[in-house]
Amino acid sequence: MTARKHKLINEPDRIVNEMLDGFCAAYSDIVRREGDRLVARAQPKAPGKVGLVMGGGSGHEPAMLGWVGQGLLDVNIVGEVFTAPGPERILDGIRAADRGAGVLLCVSHHEGDRLNAEIALEFGEAEGIENVDMVILYDDISSAPKGRESERRGTAGLFFVWKMLGAFCEGDVTLAAAKALAEKVRDNTRSLAMSLSSCASPVTGEVMFEMAPGEMEIGMGLHGEIGQGRRKALSADETIDLMLPPILDDLPYQAGDEVLVLLNNSGGMTLMELFILYRRAAARLRQAGIGVYKSWIGPYATTLETAGFALSLCRVDGQLKTLWDAPANGAYMKQL
Amino acid sequence: MIEAIARRMSTEREALNRLDAALGDGDHGTNVAAGFSAAAADIGGLENPSASDLWLAMAKAVMNRMGGASGAIFGTFFLKGVAVLRGKDRLNKRDMEAVLEAGLQGVKARGKAEVGDKTMVDALAPAVTAFSRAGGFTEGWSSAAEAARKGAACTQDLIARHGRAKYLGERAIGHIDPGACTIAFLFEATDAWWREAQPIHKR
Repeated sequence: MTARKHKLINEPDRIVNEMLDGFCAAYSDIVRREGDRLVARAQPKAPGKVGLVMGGGSGHEPAMLGWVGQGLLDVNIVGEVFTAPGPERILDGIRAADRGAGVLLCVSHHEGDRLNAEIALEFGEAEGIENVDMVILYDDISSAPKGRESERRGTAGLFFVWKMLGAFCEGDVTLAAAKALAEKVRDNTRSLAMSLSSCASPVTGEVMFEMAPGEMEIGMGLHGEIGQGRRKALSADETIDLMLPPILDDLPYQAGDEVLVLLNNSGGMTLMELFILYRRAAARLRQAGIGVYKSWIGPYATTLETAGFALSLCRVDGQLKTLWDAPANGAYMKQL
Repeated sequence: MIEAIARRMSTEREALNRLDAALGDGDHGTNVAAGFSAAAADIGGLENPSASDLWLAMAKAVMNRMGGASGAIFGTFFLKGVAVLRGKDRLNKRDMEAVLEAGLQGVKARGKAEVGDKTMVDALAPAVTAFSRAGGFTEGWSSAAEAARKGAACTQDLIARHGRAKYLGERAIGHIDPGACTIAFLFEATDAWWREAQPIHKR
């Protein structure tokens, strides 16, 4: 499995804008474009509700574009490939999401995203923009040890936050309550990823890193950040048996808990493989006495064409289950 | 000056991308070139800008067009100089020392980085010191460029403590930090511009 250097694009410096042209044209009933890099709901939510905005580099589609919509995010600010958007665009996003009850800026924990969010809030304060807060989101257990959770990076498990925080902010809630809910979901979520291949940058056409056939790496980040080292690729069952226990031990998830499960395709896996992997994960969770409330399998937060997946769990209680089941209408997240 | 820097960054785009490929996602050169060309274009559109207008336009263009952690940190370097420059139309060397020093402190605070962390600070800190120690602008820019070049080269032997490269651990050893290298190019381009412009004595 190799990275695909040749991509069907036009000019490398127009890929993000042209991608957004296409996305917004296809889903014009759900989203609309604001400026060159903002994707907002086609119909803004009612005034008096907390706005949710999230920025991030591109290359992870359908994240987070596909989560803009009713019951989900209000605005997504899109950066260059794997590059966080700058502060001015973030401020534009905050203004676009403002419905008069405050705006929560969700930040996936990466240095670029965090720094630009901090600068945006400093600029916003200087301009007199009030009632804005940010929440730092992280879930990847391989990026820092237990006890240093706040140093971890944000990966596929943010999926749970987008859905449940989005549902929460459809209600009459305060900005502080929204932030607390985001933290509650985050603190119940853990993820671990693995990868069998690299990917090639559509901008430079170069492979991000080399990966030999027949090798795998556990603990890779959402931009191909190095994990816990290379090893000979294992079978599906062996891979789950290696990845699930450290996730369960980290929170820890225990017998009697109920969880949401996400098996996220990094871009280049077949669904066939993912179903086989899920089969083992479900069996292992059952053995551990952990109930599965709902599961999602598919490409939600990708790393271009990387062949790999992330396994994410989120422990849920009554409140979170209700939020999970609340209606949502994003291009890539539907809940009736 | 900024046109000279933007030209140099465009020339070095592929070299910086190659350095970044070893430690990051391989597009640092593309983003740096885009940021500095945007800055050159924005500044070209200003009418009778003051020194602080120029620095503010640089900061905004770099932050907003470069994006990522690099944009935030390079942008902070210029942003912190704005307050120092406010109200000044002719700069003496002491003013420029203060501008560079404010930028360096801003970068260290923003990125929580110190010398030895394998970041742009490894090139910037020695460059600022070298500039301040020199007798005048000409010697200042050339010794700053030399110090930045040496500082960037030294990042080869370091383990990264920030950014995506930190996950590489010891695998980062042997690779120069692309941000430090960009700082070296920045001072080299400024030095070359100064030597060319000196007889006319521009700002």
